Amino acid sequence: MKKKFLAVICLFVFLTSCVSVKEYKKIYLNDPDMKLSANQNERFENNFQVYREGASGANSGKTGGGCGCN
Amino acid sequence: MRNTILFILAFFVFVDFTTGQQTDSTKVYKKKVLENAEVDLLMSLYNQDGVHSPVNGGIGTEKLVDGTPTITISIPLSDDDVLTVDAGISAYTSASSSNINPFRSTPVYLKGASLTNTVTTLTGASRGGGTVVVPTPNQTIVGYVPIGTPWLASTGASHADKNKAVHADISHSSDSRNFIVGSNVSYSKEYDYTSYGFGGNLTGLFNEKNTEIGLKGSVYLDTWKPLYPTELREYMDYGAATFQSQGYFNGVKILNQSGVQTTAYMPSAFKPWDSKGRNSYTLSFFASQILSQKLQVALFFDLVMQEGMLSTPYQRMYFADKPNYYIGSASDISIYTSPLNEHVYQLADDIERLPTSRYKLPIGVRMNYYINEMFVLRSYYRYYIDNWGLKANTVNLDLPVKLNQLFSVTPSVRWYDQSQADYFGPFETHLSTEKYYTSDYDLSKFTSMQYSMALNYTSITNSFHIGSLGLKNFNLKYSYYDRNDGLKANIFSVGVKFVNNY
Repeated sequence: MKKKFLAVICLFVFLTSCVSVKEYKKIYLNDPDMKLSANQNERFENNFQVYREGASGANSGKTGGGCGCN
Repeated sequence: MRNTILFILAFFVFVDFTTGQQTDSTKVYKKKVLENAEVDLLMSLYNQDGVHSPVNGGIGTEKLVDGTPTITISIPLSDDDVLTVDAGISAYTSASSSNINPFRSTPVYLKGASLTNTVTTLTGASRGGGTVVVPTPNQTIVGYVPIGTPWLASTGASHADKNKAVHADISHSSDSRNFIVGSNVSYSKEYDYTSYGFGGNLTGLFNEKNTEIGLKGSVYLDTWKPLYPTELREYMDYGAATFQSQGYFNGVKILNQSGVQTTAYMPSAFKPWDSKGRNSYTLSFFASQILSQKLQVALFFDLVMQEGMLSTPYQRMYFADKPNYYIGSASDISIYTSPLNEHVYQLADDIERLPTSRYKLPIGVRMNYYINEMFVLRSYYRYYIDNWGLKANTVNLDLPVKLNQLFSVTPSVRWYDQSQADYFGPFETHLSTEKYYTSDYDLSKFTSMQYSMALNYTSITNSFHIGSLGLKNFNLKYSYYDRNDGLKANIFSVGVKFVNNY
């Protein structure tokens, strides 16, 4: 587990050395479907998944609060 | 009380932050972080059913219907500051909460006009609710007896509830727009559960905004108002010596496994909670990187600590090493775990018991690729591990397809797999000698698939107006969720975003 995590961190550090994209060349990256967060309508799915599954988190969603017992 | 004080302190920090920004404005022109106020109206309808209800110890209906209207308003307070307020109500009916008291009254008849008796008035309120059957002319009601089944939701007072939630968030961007700080407070309330939350976040953008790194902290201070299963509540209220002759059990027949009336039922393992708090502390790390003009990636990492009452007070347990006791019809005892059982309910030995701390470690990676003007590929993977022995993997793929400048459709598929938590056991498999136990299948080993389809409309001109609000975006989404332990769910959501044009 520790090795996997370190590998992901190393990969990320490596990737940060990639070529820098200028603002005026970000037309594709600025497409609404390219955003790096969950869509607004996924919040409800995220809520029920937190309730119905043992795992949660690491998706910008809620990680606590509320019961979800039903 | 402690939670209230902490919440008030957090609120003052929040207000102070808001007013503190007034001195940070500059005279030079800056593009506003948010040009105009935005209003999001969201609504979801969710229903599920399954065969492993935790309130019945791991068997029975899991039927649940939930509707959640939500409104989110984002307001630019200045060039640099944005206030977002989010409020919603989740109204639900649930077999799990209704079967805290699973019993309903059923009349006992004698046929023939000459046989008349005084009707015993055991009302629905005290007996768990339910429909009283009107006798035909040649029948006489001679009394009512309580019956129940794990395969039907009772209609008692607890079958429906509302969760009211409000969340306020404020963010401040630096003049360069390369640093963002924010704070938030939240509150939610349902009949037996109250939650206060607060937190803060810090985000930095580097390398010509090609790299983004964020840190976020959240605290939730929650309080239970514990509701126990009816039979255990009576045991708690009246004590071992008299609970079968007072209150709910007065005049009610308790049957043993052979269907013979007995007074031997004694849930001595049950002890009410001595604490009611549940706190969650989360530290989240986020980093994203643009890799090319069409590819970007993000890493999410949370460290979550929970402490307090992490179990649910009305989830029943049945021990393998304890005799079974029932209320209802003796003829259905032999088919108790089958959906054919309509008239008998097994009395609990205890409620679930789980450790008072849990550490969660989820790591997620999201990678989005702009294939061409028509297709975008959105991918997400998460690995999760916690100290309850639960490990999980999640993979999600979305493929937005642009039909034209205004419309797009997005098919999605999500695969999820988890191992069993250390404390899980199916119906009536745990032993009374164990320290921790649960029959909640949300903690069992399972695999689930979710299939979704979304339709999205984005207006370029915001030409459709309601007053000063112009329509910016409209989306519909349907998802079908299939868990391989029998749980199925449907969720339908609709969202509309308006922008204030004036």
